[in-house]
Amino acid sequence: MKIDIKHLAKLSNLRFEESEAEKLEREMGDIIGMVEKMPDISVTDLKPDPNNRMILREDEVKSSLPRTEMLKNVPQSQAGCIVVPKVVE
Amino acid sequence: MELYNKSAHELSSMLEKKEISSLELTESVFKRIDEKEPEIEAYITLSKDKAIETAKKIDEKRVKGKTLSNIAGIPTGIKDNIVTKNLPTTCASKMLYNFVPPYNATVMDKLESAGVIVTGKLNMDEFAMGSSTENSYFKKTKNPCDITRVPGGSSGGSAAAVAAGECIFALGSDTGGSIRQPASYCGIVGLKPTYSSVSRYGLIAFASSLDQIGPMAKNTKDVAMLYDAICGYDSMDSTSANRSYHNHFNAIENNVKGLRIGIPKEYFGDGVNPLIKEKVLAAAKLYEQNGATLIDISLPSTEYALSAYYIISSAEASSNLARFDGVKYGYRSENYSTLAEMYEMTRSEGFGAEVKRRIMLGTFVLSSGYFDAYYKRGKLLQNMITDEFNEAFKKCDVILTPTSPNTAFKIGEKVGNPLEMYASDICTVTVNIAGLPAISLPCGFDNENLPIGMQLIAPKFGEQVLFNTANSYEEIVG
Repeated sequence: MKIDIKHLAKLSNLRFEESEAEKLEREMGDIIGMVEKMPDISVTDLKPDPNNRMILREDEVKSSLPRTEMLKNVPQSQAGCIVVPKVVE
Repeated sequence: MELYNKSAHELSSMLEKKEISSLELTESVFKRIDEKEPEIEAYITLSKDKAIETAKKIDEKRVKGKTLSNIAGIPTGIKDNIVTKNLPTTCASKMLYNFVPPYNATVMDKLESAGVIVTGKLNMDEFAMGSSTENSYFKKTKNPCDITRVPGGSSGGSAAAVAAGECIFALGSDTGGSIRQPASYCGIVGLKPTYSSVSRYGLIAFASSLDQIGPMAKNTKDVAMLYDAICGYDSMDSTSANRSYHNHFNAIENNVKGLRIGIPKEYFGDGVNPLIKEKVLAAAKLYEQNGATLIDISLPSTEYALSAYYIISSAEASSNLARFDGVKYGYRSENYSTLAEMYEMTRSEGFGAEVKRRIMLGTFVLSSGYFDAYYKRGKLLQNMITDEFNEAFKKCDVILTPTSPNTAFKIGEKVGNPLEMYASDICTVTVNIAGLPAISLPCGFDNENLPIGMQLIAPKFGEQVLFNTANSYEEIVG
C-alpha cells in the first residue's frame, strides 16, 4: 500500500525532511502490515456501553483561573492578550 | 535497615506511633536520591524544599494529635504527565519543557489532602509513548537491577525510583502496559486500575479511552494503600464511574482457598521467553498447593489485541495531541512567519520521533477512505476482546499471565525497531482494551538475575481480588 506521507503530514501539521519521510513511510508500512492481520468481523455496528453512560456536569457558573495565572505559560503575550502572527489583512 | 528501604505500610505505622518523623523519613529519601540519582536518572524535576516544608507541617499536625491518613508523611514520586500545581510538568517532551501548571490533577489534590510528601516528577517516555523510557527528551533512566538495561516504560522513572529507594511509592500511568511492564522489569508491584475508577482530570492525555493512573510500590499492600487514596468518582472526568469504594488495604485477606485461577493458553505462546513461562506456571502451582483451582481458559482474540491497540491509541493520540500548537503554553518555534507555519514548525521541532510516528499513524487510520478498514475494525475487535474476557470470568475469578514476554533489555537494543519494541506490550494491552484492572508482581529471576513479573487480571472493579491474590503469593514465598 502507498502511504501518502506528504498529505498525512499536512493533516497533522507536521513537516518532515525528505530522508525522514522515507524512513517514516517504511516504518508506518511495517506497522500497517501488522495491523492488517486483523480478522474481518461480521458484526458491523458499534453501540455505546450501556453500563458506562457518560455523565455531564451541570451547566453552572463557577470561578475559573485568573487571567494572570493563565498567561504565565503563554510563549508571547502583550496587554493581557496572547500574541500570534497576523491572520487577517 | 535504612528508612528509604522500608515499605509504606511499615513506615505508616512507625509514623503513627511517632517512632520516626516524616522529616527524618523525607531526609533519608533525599539522601538516597543524592547517592543514586547520578546513576539512575529517574527524576526530571526534584521538589526537595517543598517536600521538607510539607514533612515539617505533617509532623506538627501529628504532634498536635490531629487524625491523619495512613499515607500522610510518606515520600511519593509522581510521573511527569500528571499535572502538579506550580511544579513543572513536562511529559518528558521538549513541547512542554517550560510548562508550570496553574492547577492540580484530581489525584494530586487527593494526595495533598491525604498529606503525602511529593518528592518530584519522574521520567517517562515522551507523552507516555514507549516501552523503555528511552523516548524521554531529557534523559535515559537506568534499571536499578542492572544499569546497562532499560527500566521499561513508559513509567520507567516511577519504577526505577521505587526500586532504587528514591521514593517510597509512586504514581504511574498505564495505556497499554506502562505501569505493569516497568514494574516487572524493575522487580516491583504495579497496578493498572479499572478504567474509570481513578480520575484522569489533569493526566495529560495520550489515549483517553485507555489511559489510567495507578500506584507502584515495593509490595501489594503499599499499592493498595495508594490506590485507596486516589480512586473515586470525579465530576471533572466525564468517564469517571459514579460509585463508592471500600477501603481495599484494610480488607486484604491472605487466603486463596477455593479461588479459581484462569490460565489462558494464548499468553504462554512461542513469543514468550520459556523461563518466564516456567516461573509464572510455578507460581500457579504454588497457588494450587495452597488451595486454589487452576482452570485452562482460552482468549482467542489475544493475537489481534496489539493491532487493535495501536489503531485505537494512535487515533486518539493524534486527536489529543492536536492541542500542542505553541499558542497558549509550552514550546513555540522561532522559525515562522505565518500562523500555519508557527503551528507546523512548533510541532515538528517540539515532538520527538515516536510521538510524530504515532500522530501520523493515527491521522492515517482516521483519514477518509481508511476509517472503516482500520479504526472501526479496531473498535469492533475491542468489543470482541471484552466479550471474551467476560465469558472467561464466568469460569474463573482471576486470570494469571506473564506481564511481559521478556525481561529488561539493554539500553539501545530495540530503538531502531518499533515493532519489536511494541511486542513487549503483548501481554498487557488486552487489559486496557477491555478496561479491566490488573496487577504485576515479581515471581522470580532469570539466569542473569533480572526480575520476572507475573500479571493477575480481574473483572471490572475487582481490585480487591487482585490485592488478595497478589498479597497471598508474597506471604507464601516470604
